[in-house]
Amino acid sequence: MEAKTKGLKLADILTTIVIAIVFGIIYKLWGPLYSAVGAVGFHLDQLIYGMWFIASSLAYLLIRKPGVALLAETAASAGELITGSQWGLEVLIYGVVQGLFAELVFAVFRYRRFDVFVVSLSAVGATIGSLIMDFYKGYIGSLAPWNLALFLLARFIGAILISGVFAVSLAKALEKTGVTQMWRTASKDDYDALNR
Amino acid sequence: MKWEVRCRETWLHETNPSLKLIVLVVLFFAVLFIHNPNVLINVSLALFVLFCFGTGYPANVLFWLFLPFFLVFVSTASSMMMFGEGTTTWVRWGLIHVTAESFWRGVHIGFRALALGLLGLIFSLTTRPVPLFYSLMQQLKLKPKYAYSFLAAVRLLPMMLEEFQTVRYALTVRGVPNKGVLSKVKRYAIPLLSQSIRRAQRIAVAMEAKQFSGSGQRTFYYEIGFGKYDIWLVALFAALMFVAYYMGVHYPYISIRDVR
Repeated sequence: MEAKTKGLKLADILTTIVIAIVFGIIYKLWGPLYSAVGAVGFHLDQLIYGMWFIASSLAYLLIRKPGVALLAETAASAGELITGSQWGLEVLIYGVVQGLFAELVFAVFRYRRFDVFVVSLSAVGATIGSLIMDFYKGYIGSLAPWNLALFLLARFIGAILISGVFAVSLAKALEKTGVTQMWRTASKDDYDALNR
Repeated sequence: MKWEVRCRETWLHETNPSLKLIVLVVLFFAVLFIHNPNVLINVSLALFVLFCFGTGYPANVLFWLFLPFFLVFVSTASSMMMFGEGTTTWVRWGLIHVTAESFWRGVHIGFRALALGLLGLIFSLTTRPVPLFYSLMQQLKLKPKYAYSFLAAVRLLPMMLEEFQTVRYALTVRGVPNKGVLSKVKRYAIPLLSQSIRRAQRIAVAMEAKQFSGSGQRTFYYEIGFGKYDIWLVALFAALMFVAYYMGVHYPYISIRDVR
């Protein structure tokens, strides 16, 4: 065994950040799409808002360690900022807050569950984080009630579908490629296979 | 990539990146708590002037960079204008209900989005990644394993873009139908992610071997300190906020003082 280091190991950090940067690019490309859908009106754009929480869910599903969700969301938003997001500095702050709330959900489950339910719940957490920011920035509290309800509903549903369900399906597909085997500890099955 | 666009180095490039980040984040929160549209319009205008003359980029580049912000301005403002609550009705057309209050609130959040966007642009246009992370390690005591991981990941960006092209060509050649946003994301994300993860693991092994993960005292190739421009930076933004606030309160454009 190697010497125990406090917190995440460099390999975990680097992998998380690299995953996050991939999503940083997707986040950046998501911006114009979001604006285009927003032109349709009726908060249809909120249905795709959930994509901006996916880095934390996916990094957590793959690496499965404390702190990864927050790091991933922060790094992804930093990547989005570096590649020139149309929202500027705002995305970094939103990213940190969303990551914190997603991380909180994983912490409540003590980093032991990796199923659709918990990941969807973390997406809901991240959504709440984004809403807190929107409440101050966009005065969403002063939208007409029916409009606000539509807005919230669309954002929560979108978040659960994209950063919950879709993230899990992405993670499963990535498991099949075998890349996650690199940092999973050997299971009992592996030892049994050696002894056969 | 944007940081390869030729530009003139201005004094903003010379400031300490950590300090610049802190100043801009403080400004971010200040803008978040401005509820007087007159003050906010002044702040946005001042930031716009700084963006035009302080970043050292040619006018055509600045124009294309600025264009998306109009989209954000319009999309943020319009929703609040049409569906916000208010009492003084201007137009009512079906579900659309424009009131004086919601109109100015819409203008206000449009300008806010503009100001926040400009803050981000000013930062990313005048900050190079390498000095930024060296400064974060030296001034803000960011752990080297995080900073160097980030720098390594930034280095991988061009490789990822190249792979993205390759995947796109491969899909085109094989005639994969190009429909569904989510399935498209998946089709690109799986190969890009799996390759990046493999590469990250290899680089991490090399970096650990070279003790980038170590927590002991490090020396740095680039020593980043403070200079006279840092004083300018703080003084300029303090003056900017003060003047914007003073002018906004004493010489308002519109009579509304608080849009909430």
